[in-house]
Amino acid sequence: MRANVWSGRNTVHVENVPDPKILNDRDAIVRITSTAICGSDLHLYDGYVPTMKRGDILGHEFMGEVVEVGRGVGNLAVGDRVVVPFPIACGDCWACQHELYSVCENSNPNAGMAEKIFGHATAGIFGYSHLTGGYAGGQAEYARVPFADVGPIKIEDDLTDEQVLFLSDIFPTGFMGAEFCEIRGGEVIAVFGAGPVGQFAIASAVMLGAEQVIAIDHYPYRLEMARNRAGATATIDASADPDVVEQLKEMTGGRGPDAVIDAAGMEATHGHGLLNAVERVWQGTRMETDRGPALRDAIMACRPAGIVSVIGVYGGFMDKFPTGAFMNKGLTLKSGQCHAQRYLRRLYDHIRNGDIDPSFVVTHRLPLDEAPNGYETFKHKQDECMKVVLNP
Amino acid sequence: MRSPKAAITVRRSREEVQRLWGDPAYRPEYLADADATITFVDAPGDRGTEIHVELQGGTPLAKAKDDLRRFKQHVETGLIVRSDGTPEGERAERKIKQRPAQPMPEPELQQVGA
Repeated sequence: MRANVWSGRNTVHVENVPDPKILNDRDAIVRITSTAICGSDLHLYDGYVPTMKRGDILGHEFMGEVVEVGRGVGNLAVGDRVVVPFPIACGDCWACQHELYSVCENSNPNAGMAEKIFGHATAGIFGYSHLTGGYAGGQAEYARVPFADVGPIKIEDDLTDEQVLFLSDIFPTGFMGAEFCEIRGGEVIAVFGAGPVGQFAIASAVMLGAEQVIAIDHYPYRLEMARNRAGATATIDASADPDVVEQLKEMTGGRGPDAVIDAAGMEATHGHGLLNAVERVWQGTRMETDRGPALRDAIMACRPAGIVSVIGVYGGFMDKFPTGAFMNKGLTLKSGQCHAQRYLRRLYDHIRNGDIDPSFVVTHRLPLDEAPNGYETFKHKQDECMKVVLNP
Repeated sequence: MRSPKAAITVRRSREEVQRLWGDPAYRPEYLADADATITFVDAPGDRGTEIHVELQGGTPLAKAKDDLRRFKQHVETGLIVRSDGTPEGERAERKIKQRPAQPMPEPELQQVGA
């Protein structure tokens, strides 16, 4: 089959590789009809995530048709149309039983590797380095889906691929980020990063009843989408004025937002001042792996006793974490890779009911063979790129 | 120097975990013959059973940990978890010699017993 593989820093190639086979009774094989490039794929592409290996198939956002099922998969049949959530979860361990799927205790066969870096292993993830299991990803014609009796959701409505594809990751991820904010009505929520996850965090905060949602980014076209499509009530262009903390306070009558969502993670680049100049040097030497301007600003801007919700991806260590502000303001920090399986049914119903059409983020559609161009376009935000969908 | 220790929690009752530990179908291949003290303790709440391993005589800790993880997977999920990078399931030797995360060709599939 054809597959998009990592071949070194800033390089991917579409190559012929063997077709996947059933390796365990609870596996299924899916023929992929649509797959997307995620912002977190760029961290792998850039070489910021350790334990990548040449030949790794990338991609953790995919959907398609079931073509083979193992003996232990009773809920799916050949021909079913499914969206596959990005964390691989067994459904049987304590974490899965508590709907904490992204920290499944069994699905990462490189647990020993992850323990050295994170203290504990987290769930296996498709196409996302060997630290999360060394699983082939979904930017390919076919994928093996382990624990297929737990993860995939069957799509039985007449919805297009692009309307349901983002159930695989970015829609539930954005939703979880908004849910962390404990919205009861009347809140002001700020969202750092108006990329695809940020768009869904904004849309979800609106759905959950936030009164004002402020989007922050340094690309005007992303802010425009946040306002016109996701429902942001205000925006801050950090490229025009990088002092985001002061602007947020000003926009909230000095209070600061009730909760702040970091949907930028280590991608954030808006920082200013001496601290960020120092950080650029550290990053250059790779002594610090996680850039932190969004998280620092989130903590500085959040109102006392508010919530900071981190769904943007970090992979290593960050310097200059504002411990004093975090502690003295009494903030609550919540984070995680999304427990996607927990939200699939609920968000699928939102799509079916017409509450949201997630396809609004798609700006680029390419055949799988053009994946390398897709990565470059997305990485450099060329052509107002927001989301690239690949069709094998 | 304190002797190397490892522990894991398995979501089953102590009686069942102890029984399966001795069952040939589940028996950890490495720890079974290693010079090690194994104790089973009820875990707090609804978490099942803690298995504590204390190794004597230079037994490599990494191999003991592999055994514990494989046992937990087998008991809780009914299978040994395999990926493209680690097709035999968790093994210390594989950590430093990962396959690329792409499907295996036929001869290699047979080699790893899949």
